[in-house]
Amino acid sequence: MGSRASTLLREEEIEEIKKETGFSHSQITRLYSRFTSLDKGENGTLSREDFQRIPELAINPLGDRIINAFFPEGEDQVNFRGFMRTLAHFRPIEDNEKNKNPPTSEPLNSRTNKLLFAFRLYDLDRDDKISRDELLQVLRMMVGVNISDEQLGSIADRTIQEADTNGDNSISFSEFIKVLEKVDVEQKMSIRFLH
Amino acid sequence: MDDGDNKKKKTNGRGAPGKGGGRARGRRTSPVSEDEDDEEDTPPRPRRAGERRRAARKEGDEDEDDNKASKKKRGGAANRRRGGDGEGGDGKKGRKGRGKKGGKGGKGEEKGDSTGKEKDKDEDKDKKKKKGSSSDSNSGSEEEDSMSEGEMARLMEEVEEKKKLIATMRNKPWRMKRRLVLLKDAQQFVDKFEGALGKGKGRKWFAYKVMMTKKWIKFQRDFDNFKTSCIPWERKIKEVESHFGSSVASYFIFLRWMYGMNLVLFGFTFGLVVIPEVLMGLPYGSIPRKTVPRPEQDTAQDYSVLMDFNGYCKYSVLFYGYYNDQRTIGLLKFRLPLSYLLVGIGNFGYSLMLVIRTMAKNADVGGGDGDESEFTFAWKMFTSWDYLIGNAETADNKYASITTSFKESIVDEQENQKDENIHLRRFLRVLANFMITCSLGGSGYLIYFVVKRSQEFANRDDLSWYEKNELEIIMSLLGLVCPPLFETIAELEDYHPRIALKWQLGRIFALFLGNLYTFLFALFDEVNSKLEEEQDIKNNSIWIMKEYYANFSRLTNDTEATPPPMNPADVIRGPCWETAVGIEFVKLTVSDIQVTYLTILIGDFARAMIVRFLNYCWCWDLEAGFPSYGEFDISGNVLGLVFNQGMIWMGAFYAPGLVGINVLRLLSSMYYQCWAVMATNVPHERVFKASKSNNFYMGLLLLVLFLSLLPVVYTIMSLPPSFDCGPFSGRLKMFDVIMETIDLDLPAFMGTLFSYAANPGLIIPAVLLMVLAIYYLNAVSEAYKNSNNELKKKMQLARDEEKNRRNNTDSTNQVMKDLEDLLPNRSFIPPPPPPPPKAEKPQPEAKPTKTKPGSAAKGVKVQKDVALASPNPNARGPVSQAPTPRAGPRPGRGAPAN
Repeated sequence: MGSRASTLLREEEIEEIKKETGFSHSQITRLYSRFTSLDKGENGTLSREDFQRIPELAINPLGDRIINAFFPEGEDQVNFRGFMRTLAHFRPIEDNEKNKNPPTSEPLNSRTNKLLFAFRLYDLDRDDKISRDELLQVLRMMVGVNISDEQLGSIADRTIQEADTNGDNSISFSEFIKVLEKVDVEQKMSIRFLH
Repeated sequence: MDDGDNKKKKTNGRGAPGKGGGRARGRRTSPVSEDEDDEEDTPPRPRRAGERRRAARKEGDEDEDDNKASKKKRGGAANRRRGGDGEGGDGKKGRKGRGKKGGKGGKGEEKGDSTGKEKDKDEDKDKKKKKGSSSDSNSGSEEEDSMSEGEMARLMEEVEEKKKLIATMRNKPWRMKRRLVLLKDAQQFVDKFEGALGKGKGRKWFAYKVMMTKKWIKFQRDFDNFKTSCIPWERKIKEVESHFGSSVASYFIFLRWMYGMNLVLFGFTFGLVVIPEVLMGLPYGSIPRKTVPRPEQDTAQDYSVLMDFNGYCKYSVLFYGYYNDQRTIGLLKFRLPLSYLLVGIGNFGYSLMLVIRTMAKNADVGGGDGDESEFTFAWKMFTSWDYLIGNAETADNKYASITTSFKESIVDEQENQKDENIHLRRFLRVLANFMITCSLGGSGYLIYFVVKRSQEFANRDDLSWYEKNELEIIMSLLGLVCPPLFETIAELEDYHPRIALKWQLGRIFALFLGNLYTFLFALFDEVNSKLEEEQDIKNNSIWIMKEYYANFSRLTNDTEATPPPMNPADVIRGPCWETAVGIEFVKLTVSDIQVTYLTILIGDFARAMIVRFLNYCWCWDLEAGFPSYGEFDISGNVLGLVFNQGMIWMGAFYAPGLVGINVLRLLSSMYYQCWAVMATNVPHERVFKASKSNNFYMGLLLLVLFLSLLPVVYTIMSLPPSFDCGPFSGRLKMFDVIMETIDLDLPAFMGTLFSYAANPGLIIPAVLLMVLAIYYLNAVSEAYKNSNNELKKKMQLARDEEKNRRNNTDSTNQVMKDLEDLLPNRSFIPPPPPPPPKAEKPQPEAKPTKTKPGSAAKGVKVQKDVALASPNPNARGPVSQAPTPRAGPRPGRGAPAN
């Protein structure tokens, strides 16, 4: 598998992706083979349907949001570069990478970027705030019809009340960070690629 | 590999962040997590510990994945070790670049290893670090488990430095706490790595040690997984929990615990009493006590007789009377009577120990999770989905459990925000308790009255049907009427459902005690009458024996000839009260099983069927209206289980087979009730969260255990055993068998020793000593509790302080940001690095976070500069920070502030 991928991917492409995302050579070839196996249309890009075939995403109440995260605004195809860029959020944080290129911008898999990714899942209208309505939508996805709307509303209110510090009745990204401060995001939002 | 592939796509690898041990257990049930991600399978642990462990494991994994260099492993190992203290946060700075080709080992990176805490040192190490990182970028390392010369030298230097630090520690101008922490770190480091510096052998040994640590961790993880998959019914219970909430699940957990305990009792009883008797004892029909008497033989195999445990059942190994009083049986000289007595007592001892131990352990669990209350809903909201779920059924369960947990939180929340009319509430509660006490007292008197009447009736013959069965009828009426009555009254009290359940349990328990009392009363009456009867029969049977022999010798006219022994079926027997008691208990247990199962079948299943299917052709909505579906009756089921266990404890001595019956019952009821609850019941209207320890159930169980201990011990100690049945026949008291063993089997001095030990002069001081010990331990535990509370308070205080400080800096930050634009020296300050995820660092309970060494060191340096530039430490944070909105400055990060 790896060899096939490496014949399809040019070295310089790999180098670029490596630089951008921090994945290693073998990880990239491995992910590329996964990418091609997902690509049913065999046109080098993935569509939303391709993603929805993954059972974990199909079942997930936030699956659509996650799939959306792979697609840039207004597009419905994603190529391997974009795919890798999104996946890079889930690369475990390693300790040595800072040594190599300290001056460049924050890597995609930093804590803040990981959290930002999670934040975007809830921020449906991309206004950098999670409003009550957005919470309600997510809640409905998560619990279905088992809880009355009234109670859902109070859950959403309560959630905002807990997290909101500046009183604008919505959760901004900094408030989101504060809520999840004690959560070990670096660990939890990492996938151990390639063993 | 394919698993790996799958996993890649699932975005949020670690499932739901920030869930406690309980939720981690929930995740375990998903098949996906079970076979794909071993870290999902961590067994329930206190959250913090679990996370820390997970972090440590994670490191282990990575080490495995790309074990490029031993150095790296050292970093990991060191971290693991120090991770235990919760402060190894940024120990492994010096890692080498991945997979770069190059000749020499990377230098310098080892520098920072384990020195993360020492900011002062960091600073002067920065230059080296830079050198190291630059050299690293063009020279990687490919060597396997060995160290290059450069590394060696580096490590040597490091160890030397540490030693120097230890030596000069007392001269440093640090606070004592910090000194102690550093000292400990340094000492550990020196201990650990001095071995690595040895030539050849020491190094190999070190590599071996590291490898073994890794293997050990992996083994532990696998073993944990294995252990988890071995917990019986875990998945079933999880399923119930996800639909019905933790309160219903607590019943099933209790049931499982009971099953475990009964399995052990079963092992004792069958292994040491029943099976030896079957294998080595005399066979059926050899002696009178093992034979069905002739008048009963015709009906002994009838179904109805067997169902009453008479006939062949009565003369079988299931009951006390079957056992012979031979001192030893079989080739192995197994002392069956002794073993019988010891198992009887040992069952009680084991149960007592187990219940108390479990209670103590549960009490331990209680306090750990107190600090999560801050963002309950937000965390549930953002973190409850497990992103690794790929199976539709599991997803359904997860949906249900998220819903349930939200509902539980809502109930708790409502309870907190109840508007208080304290006087009315108090009045209502007092009223409710008064009413319930009245009805309890009334039913108690009723029972007493009826029992007395039944004693009068016992002497008369002309009884109507009602008068004969009055006691039973009254008892079952009380059992039917009172619990719903209590429940209705309890609504006045308006407690949280969790507390209401406890009250309800306690009240019904008190009611059932009356039941128990009447039962025992009747039983003792029966035993006494049997004892009287026995005296007559004993004389009678001796007389008949004599007659038989006299007749024989007269008929044969030969006084010398030994008469053939009487057929064992013809011998006249005593009533054998022990077997009668045993039969009574077995019957009770069996009828209890029948009633329970039938109730479920009719009360729940038939009702559910009717409601479900008759609803199509009925005049009102059956599902929403009157009959509706049943709720799972937690209090009734728990109490049923507890009292059933009481019966087992009391009866097991007289009917060893009872334990076996009970094991079967518990086993079947686990499956049956799980099915019934999932198929026919609906969740409670207010799903509430059970307290983690079901110590209340345990307390009830302990009380019942004590109550059932009393009659058994009384009979063992004071009643004479039957003369012709059971392992103790022919002895005056049952415990004589122990005396006999001491006299005959143990060496003589042991006998004297025991006689001394039994001397009241020794026993009284011993009891006194124990009382003193209890008093002392009690005082000590009291003191511990106090200090525990103090510590908790302190922790809370520290957390509040931390929060306040952060909030304050945040608020000032806004002002400072505006100011910042005006500040002229802004351009002199080097651009701060992106905020590294080391925010937790100042917190005392910080987990080992992964830190980027470069940034940390740089950050510290930058802050130091800034601190020099501006004397006001508060101004430092904001000024040094880029005015990005989403990266709030972390206060207290800079070293000089400490």
